[in-house]
Order: sequence, then C-alpha cells, then structure tokens
Amino acid sequence: MKKIALVLVNEIITVITRPSFWLAAVGIPLIGAVIFGIAGIINRNAGTAATVSQIVTGPQDIRPQGYVDLSGIIRAIPGTVPASTFEAFSDESTARLALMKGEISAFYIVPADYVQKGSILYIRPDFNPLATSGDQSGLFQWVLQVNLAGGDMALANLVKGPQHVQDNSLAPIAQPDENNVLAFWAPYAVTLIFYFLIMGSASLLLSSITKEKENRIMEILLTSVTPRQLLTGKILGLGIVGFGQTLLWVGTVVILMNLSGRAFKLPSAISFPPSFLWWGLVFFLLGYAVYASLMAGLGALAPNLREASQVTFVIMLPLIIPLFFSSTVFMQDPNGPIATGFSLFPLSAPVAMMARLSAGGVPWWHPVLAAILLAGTTVITVRAVANMFRAQALVSGQSIKAKTFFKALLGRI
Amino acid sequence: MIKVWRVALHEYRRHVLNRRFVLGLISVPILIIAMVGLVFLVIAMDTDTKPIGYVDHSGLLANPVPPPPVVKPDRSIEMRPFSDEAAARSALDAGQIQAYYILSEDYRISGSLSVVHIAALKSSSSSQFYKYLAANMLVGKDPVLANRLVNGATVTVQSADGSRQISGDDWFSILFPMIAGIAFIIAMFTAGGYLMQAVVEEKENRTMEVIITSVSANQFMAGKILADIAIGLTQILAWAIFVAVTILFSRSSLTFLNSIQIPARTALLMVVILFPAFVMVAALMATIGATVAEAREGQQIVGLISLPLWIPYMLTGLMIGSPNSPVVIALSLFPLTAPLTMLVRDSMTIIPVWQIVASAGVTILGAVGSVWLAGRAFRLGMLRYGKRLAWRELFTRQGATS
Repeated sequence: MKKIALVLVNEIITVITRPSFWLAAVGIPLIGAVIFGIAGIINRNAGTAATVSQIVTGPQDIRPQGYVDLSGIIRAIPGTVPASTFEAFSDESTARLALMKGEISAFYIVPADYVQKGSILYIRPDFNPLATSGDQSGLFQWVLQVNLAGGDMALANLVKGPQHVQDNSLAPIAQPDENNVLAFWAPYAVTLIFYFLIMGSASLLLSSITKEKENRIMEILLTSVTPRQLLTGKILGLGIVGFGQTLLWVGTVVILMNLSGRAFKLPSAISFPPSFLWWGLVFFLLGYAVYASLMAGLGALAPNLREASQVTFVIMLPLIIPLFFSSTVFMQDPNGPIATGFSLFPLSAPVAMMARLSAGGVPWWHPVLAAILLAGTTVITVRAVANMFRAQALVSGQSIKAKTFFKALLGRI
Repeated sequence: MIKVWRVALHEYRRHVLNRRFVLGLISVPILIIAMVGLVFLVIAMDTDTKPIGYVDHSGLLANPVPPPPVVKPDRSIEMRPFSDEAAARSALDAGQIQAYYILSEDYRISGSLSVVHIAALKSSSSSQFYKYLAANMLVGKDPVLANRLVNGATVTVQSADGSRQISGDDWFSILFPMIAGIAFIIAMFTAGGYLMQAVVEEKENRTMEVIITSVSANQFMAGKILADIAIGLTQILAWAIFVAVTILFSRSSLTFLNSIQIPARTALLMVVILFPAFVMVAALMATIGATVAEAREGQQIVGLISLPLWIPYMLTGLMIGSPNSPVVIALSLFPLTAPLTMLVRDSMTIIPVWQIVASAGVTILGAVGSVWLAGRAFRLGMLRYGKRLAWRELFTRQGATS
C-alpha cells in the first residue's frame, strides 16, 4: 500500500511540474477567457460589432434585384414584399445594362416555358451558387409561386406544407424536442465531453509508461515494486491529475458564464437531475480506469510512443462508435434497442450511458446494471494488464500490432 | 544529381513498399464506404410504413385524390381517414397508425393543424402527409400548373459574363474543390510526417553520419523532399483511381455522377497553389525533423503548422456565405491558409485574377523560403544529438558559419 502511494505521489509530481501540463491546464481556459472577453466587448459596443461584421462577412448589398419575365406570369409583386426589392425589366439587354451600371445587384430571367420546365436563370456577378437558397432569391421564388397561384397567398404558402403545426405527444416520458436546439444537442455534447475526458486522461498514462520504458527506468522500478502496485499507483495518480484538470476547466467555464452575466440559463428541458452528476462521476471514474489500464498495457507492449499511437485507435473504437451514432440514435431514440445495447456494453457504456441519461427517460436499473458490468470489466482489465507488465513484455523491443495487444490481454503471449 | 535521385528513390521505396502505407491507403476508401452505408442505414431506420391517420374538419379531404407517388428510397405510406378524434385515438393506442393529424375548420386560410403521436413522427412520414395535403389543395387546377406550384423553381446561377453556370442542386461540383483540397492536405501531412520521422530516425540511430560522408546536405535534403512529394502524389493518385472506378461502376445507378467534370480553371489552381504548398509543407517538416532531438517533440511542433492549414476548413461556413469578405481574402493571401481557402472560394465565386496571382506568388515564395530554411536547419542540426536547435540560431549569421 505504501508503495502504491509512493508511485502515486511521484506520478502527480512529475506531471504537474511539467510546463506543458500548466500550458494546457491554464492556457486553454485563458484562451477561452480572452475570446469571451473580446466577444463581450464587441457585443457591448454596437459600432465595433458593425465594423467586425463588415470585416468578417463583407459589406451587405442592399441594392434591388432585377427580373426579366418572359413567361408573363408575374402580374404583381405581393404587397408584403418591401418596395424596391425587385425591379422589372422588359428584356435581358436592359437588365444587363442596369447590372453593369450597378443599379441592381443581380437579375433573374424567367423563361417563357417556366410552367412546363420550372427552371429560372439567376445572373450574379459574384457567381455564388449557394445564393439560390438565400433570402432574396427565396423571396423571388415565393413571388413567382404567388403569381402562379393567381395571387392566392394562402394557397402559395400551403402547397409547401402547413403554416402552424401543433405537436401533441402522448409519450409517457418527455421526448427530445427537435425545436429546442440546446436540448436536442445535449446528448451529443455530453458524449463528446465524456469521450475527451476519458481519452485525455487515459493517454497521459500511455505516454508516461512508454517514456519510462524507453529510457529503461521501468526495469529498475520493477526491482522494488510489483507490476500491480506500479499500475495501480499510476492509474490513481494520473486519474487525480486528470480529474483536477477537468474541475479547473469546468470551474473556469462557470466563473466566465457568471462574470458575463448570463449564468447557466439552460432551458428547463435539459436541467439535468442531481443524480446525473453522480452517475457522471461514477462512469467517468470507471471508464477512466478501464481505458487507462488498456492504455497502460499498450504502453507496456509498444517499443515507443509513435508505434503505440497507431494502435490507440483500435482500443478507443468502442468509445468512438457511440460518437458516430450520437446524432441519430441517441438524439432521436435514446431508449431504443441500439442505444440500450451500447449503454450496457461495458466498453462503450461510459459514453453511451451518459448520452442516454442526458436525454432522459432511462429506467433506474439500466445505469446500475451498466455500472456493475463496467466495474467488473475494470477489475478484469486491471488484472490482465498487470500481468502484461511482466518483465518479458517490458524489455522486448519488438513492434506492436493490434493482434499482439489482444493476445497479451488474454494472457496468451 | 544522380545522388539526389538515389536518395529520393530509397526514401520512396522505403515508405511506399510498406504494409503500413498500403493499409493507410486502403483504409480511406473503406471508411468512405462505411460512412455511405451508415447513411443508408439511417435512412432505412428513418422510415415507418404504418398508416398515418387524419381527422378532417375543413372539408379539404372530403373526396381526396391519392397522394403523389413517392421517390425512392422512401416507401409509400397509407393515409387513413377517421370520422372523429376518439376513433383516431383508439387506433393510435392500438398501434394501427403511427400518428394522426387534425385539420382545423379554417385550414385553407390559416394553415394550422395539429398532430398527435406517441413517438415523434419521422420527417419522411410528415412530408408525405404534407404532399398529400398539397395535392388536394390543387384539385381542379391545370396539372402542369399544379406540378409547378408543388415543385417550385430550379434556379441556375450564371456569372455576368456567362462563362460559368451552376445549378443549386449540383452540390457535387460545389463540393469537389473542397474535397480535393482536404485530400491534398491529408496526403501532404502523411507524406510530410514520414519525411520528418525519417530525418529524426536517421539522426537518432546515427545513420546520418555515414550518409553525410558521401552526399552533400543539399543533395540529401532535395532527395528527401522529392521523395516526399512523390509519396504524396502516389497517395492522391490511388484515391483518384478509387473514385474514378467507383464512378465508372455506379454511373448507371447514380445519375448525378454523369455531370461531374473538373474544369480547367480548378485544375490550374491546383497546380499553381497546391503544388507549391506541398513543397512548402514538405520542407517545413524536414526543417522540424532536423531541428528537434526526438520524434515525439517533432509531433508537437507539427501541430503548430497544421493548425493554420485547417483554419479555412473551420471557417467553411463563412467562406461559403461571403467568399469575398476581407477576412477571406486575407486568408487566401497567407501561404499556409491559401490552399484550402482558394479552392473553396473557387467553387463559390469568381476569384479576381490579381488575387490568384498574388496567392500563387505568396505560396511559391513560401515554398522557396522553406526549402532554404530546411537546407540551413539541416546543415546546422544534422549532427547535433539530444539537443534541440534553437530557432534563433537558424536565422542568425553566426549560426551559419559555426
């Protein structure tokens, strides 16, 4: 026990005395604070805001647009369209002349066979193909629609679908509201945050072990501590550092939010229950332990960091797969079979279960079962990886492959 | 010159005829295929073919015409009328329908309706119901006119001189330059990464000392950079062949592929901007390899170079929205951000000639400068072990003579 503590303290001291650690721990919140501060100043001062938007997006074009209607469809511009938005021209050459003089910013040509073919030509000097879905172009298409419908604005609008849809859900639990952007993206954000937290802390372990292996300190260390003591000490020590760093970041975010006067005013739909925080802690710690020990095993097998990082991807895959699905499965059907499966499978549980919990409506026994399964996996992996630490694996300089890694994990090497 | 070729050939063989390189090459197409498969899976999961119920108080659907045929991969959904809400509700509870709509009495004017469901309605289901409503709104109109009203206009954008023309639906032509740019940057970094590793490795295991007895530093560096470019081009060529083969085989089923063509203008842009950028990144990577003491340290510095290259990617939204804003023009005149910026802008707007010339000039200058820097860093740093070469030394005169 004393030796574990020794390893732990040493690990913490090594990491926090490194300048690069402080660079990340303080630098990232600092960059955030600076960006926040600049944004705050810009927002407070309307004049600056206008200048900045001029530089970023360029000047707004407020000139009218012309149109040449060869089909004779446009009889009148609806009254709801602001005056001098569109200007009629009798033929293409006069419109081109006006365009050259800069009187109009662009013009449309509605061909004679518009009703049959449905294509219109949009002549723009800056040639931006995405302008076809822009505001002004959309308005022109609407003007065409209204005129086609014989001036019946209601009909022109309704062929595109109803104007107001009242949504009544009979579901026993709240469904994620697609209109509430924040609530909708909450599972995605939670998945991403947990992924980075676990991966960031776990890769600390990888670099620490490969480094000690590369400069042969490991061999000396193992003469006085057992592999399991070394591993446990390292996992705990780096876990504490990683957790502390996270707290520092979260703390900065909260302080910044408060300073800027918009304390977390998240919509009620995603005010997470207090149990969410506790589950977050549980799944972070367990997930970290599993992945950190897998990374440590990788570090023990790989001759150097460069070769190790090529296999990292394979190990991280169970955490990455839920990320791929997060936009579809976890947002739309957080309690469906696929999401449930991912959240109970131990290797993807830390990320997937948190995503489901943030979406809500999870039966109480799901997180409990997932946590138990994950805890069991943690014990097994830590044991397996401690075995990997046997001197044989440590001294060899052979290159690492995913196959070797899994073989060693199953104790077949 | 023969020595340069020898170095280049050795370097090229060493990296390309390697299982890892081949695997990396294949993994990209496989990843793309997996993504496409995932998209189809999501679409398949997004359809629910149970009937949709409706209660009509407006009289619009009293004698309904059938909904228009659906476009694949959507599947047709039956629309089932109910006389009152109670009947619809019990059908919903029994699981016979996926949801039901209630049309208010004044639907034709106000356009308001409500929908009752248990699980949120998929977008493909609701759009089928809306099309059904639209078809019934237009009963009695001339079918050609009705069709135009439902489908709206297709807008084709044309430049003022008529030289370029593109339709808003032609998304592939819009995206192509950007995809090409991203592929180039990925190839640039993989090849550059190999180069950096090779230099550091040769330094670490002292091979360098032996090599330098028979090749001059400049020849060595030139050979390495040449090999780097060749490796990158091999990668791009392999991807291009993959894309070409895919298009060839799926031409019949995916008709939009027929319209693909790479304009000469884009090809020219690639030659004058992407190629110098390639040389620049290769040389910078070699510089890093020569200055750092170990590979890990090099990796961190590479991050500093790759960041500016990806900035345009992060600002894609801005560049698409306003391709001629001052910020975007500034980005296209900075050597490291120019490649991707210019390619994205190319599909979005007509880039003034002076900007193309200036951008290409800046990038070429950057390439020449970094090759010079690489040669110098190499001379100064090649025999220095365990100690990093300070950037200050690179630029001072004293460093050159020592």
